[in-house]
Amino acid sequence: MSSLVRLEVRVSFSYNQKEVLKNVSFSAEEGKLLAIVGPNGAGKSTLLKCLVGILKPKGYAKLNGINLLNLKPKERAKYISYVPQSSYPEFAFTVEEFVELGSYATGGTVEDALKTVGMWERKHELVTKLSGGEYQLVLVARALAQGSNVMLLDEPTSHLDINHALRIMNLLKALKKEKVVVAVMHDLNLALNYADNLLILDKGEVRWIGKPSKLTPEVLEEVYEIKAKITEVDSLKIVTAIE
Amino acid sequence: MKKLIPLLISSVLLILLGIAVGPVRISLSGILASFSLENIKIAFSSPNMLEENAYIILQIRLPRIILAYLVGVSLASAGTASQALFKNPLADPYIIGISGGAAVGASLAALYFPQYMSISALFGAVLAVFTVYKIAKVNGHIPVDTLLLAGIALGFFTSALTSYLLYVRKEGIHNAIFWLMGTFNGSEWDDVKLVLFSSTLGVIFLFFTWKELNLLLLGEESISMGLDINLYRKLIIGVISLLTSFAVATSGIIGFVGLISPHAMRIVFGPNHKRLLPASALFGGSLMVFADILARMLLRPSEIPVGIITALFGAPFFIYLLMKKKRGELLG
Ligand SMILES: Nc1ncnc2c1ncn2[C@@H]1O[C@H](COP(=O)(O)OP(=O)(O)OP(=O)(O)O)[C@@H](O)[C@H]1O
Ligand SMILES: [Mg+2]
Repeated sequence: MSSLVRLEVRVSFSYNQKEVLKNVSFSAEEGKLLAIVGPNGAGKSTLLKCLVGILKPKGYAKLNGINLLNLKPKERAKYISYVPQSSYPEFAFTVEEFVELGSYATGGTVEDALKTVGMWERKHELVTKLSGGEYQLVLVARALAQGSNVMLLDEPTSHLDINHALRIMNLLKALKKEKVVVAVMHDLNLALNYADNLLILDKGEVRWIGKPSKLTPEVLEEVYEIKAKITEVDSLKIVTAIE
Repeated sequence: MKKLIPLLISSVLLILLGIAVGPVRISLSGILASFSLENIKIAFSSPNMLEENAYIILQIRLPRIILAYLVGVSLASAGTASQALFKNPLADPYIIGISGGAAVGASLAALYFPQYMSISALFGAVLAVFTVYKIAKVNGHIPVDTLLLAGIALGFFTSALTSYLLYVRKEGIHNAIFWLMGTFNGSEWDDVKLVLFSSTLGVIFLFFTWKELNLLLLGEESISMGLDINLYRKLIIGVISLLTSFAVATSGIIGFVGLISPHAMRIVFGPNHKRLLPASALFGGSLMVFADILARMLLRPSEIPVGIITALFGAPFFIYLLMKKKRGELLG
């Protein structure tokens, strides 16, 4: 018997009349980083919001058999955490106070979370005074303080310079050893090189799912409506749009 | 928590000052003598038997000052909670029309069922918060402009209703006008009991849920951290309404204390409600007692409605905040 944590999802969701997620189904497991990519408006953020209970979808999200969608928020927060798409912080909490918000349901430790992202020394600074990259690290720490088995991240590397982006990706690589990690990403190169599994979402439907090494330019061309090329340099995959 | 001590000290000093000053001059020894065990016993059994100075101190000034302090605490706490609920630093029970809703309830009761003033004010307040919330919400957010517009619209509407109700009642127009502008004139121990009840209940609830209040600042995102946001929002609306309506029912419409207190305290203590709540409650109480002292002393021996004082200070402050907001400098 393996004690592997495994998340199985099948959800549909509509805003008013508009169908945004059409029977989206996938699974993710501990040890494998799942990247979700897809064009703007595909439904990626909506999917994450459904899984953490911000939106109420039809379907299920089972974590080792427990349907997270049926749980009360406080109970659900013990299993699944969420790093929202970064927006500018509105309230001048200190870094420590801000991360403490994440420990509401579980009483997880703020210190460990901040140390993991390397921001413990800066715990007394105001989040409103941080750079975008530093704030992103603090957002990850806040989710870490929840101490959950699953972590969902919405575009954790957008707006970040290459150094901070790689810092986040390496952090996710370390976290996946003890958690199910699912990240929505726009940078195809980062996704291809860091993810263990790739899911392409388009117009609310799963278009493609598999190992990044199996991805062909044709799939990208169809989804993104571009001409694409995937080259490999020293085992690094590089996607380029031509024309 | 050490930083709260100056606020506690200023609360005590202002309360003492409030007892010491008034249109009738009473010497320090006279004031101290009023607090004799004997006088206090008489005050409890048959207060009309008190000799003059003791009556003024124990039956007029003391209930008035304590009521002012408790109303200040209530409004400042309701303001702090509203700002978290609306995620908007410009929210205040007065500006967003909750006080107006409570006033309609109170004046309706004054006309038809005077013994239920506070309860009726409470209904008016709850109705007002729900209305503002529904009108102001755009795609799950509450932008400043729609919030203020909804508040202003509701304010006009409720003030017309209140004026009408006071007008058809005819008797006691002078008192009615004082009440509309907010006053602690004529406060009685019964008023103190009412507001002691509502403020204790409301403030204790808020203190115990400071973590939830912090999470509320994050909006829907806080669901992912485990906050049952819909349930908690309803509870907060109830608490804000309770605090505001009992204050309005006993002392009329007093604006801006709920705006100024949390703001001033956020500068010193930051947005964390663990410290912000007690600080702004203590500050609100002190501010209210201070405003009431001015209201009594400026035009001695007659008095000004205290709501005029708070508006004279509060409205410019509000404009200053709006300017800051315009320049994008307004942060929580
Ligand atoms: N609050 C809302 N009300 C109505 N429709 C919405 C709402 N939020 C999103 N949508 C619609 O749902 C669809 C999916 O949006 P979503 O934000 O999930 O896309 P996304 O894949 O995250 O896009 P992006 O890459 O630009 O972040 C879009 O067509 C969008 O217009
Ligand atoms: Mg998105």
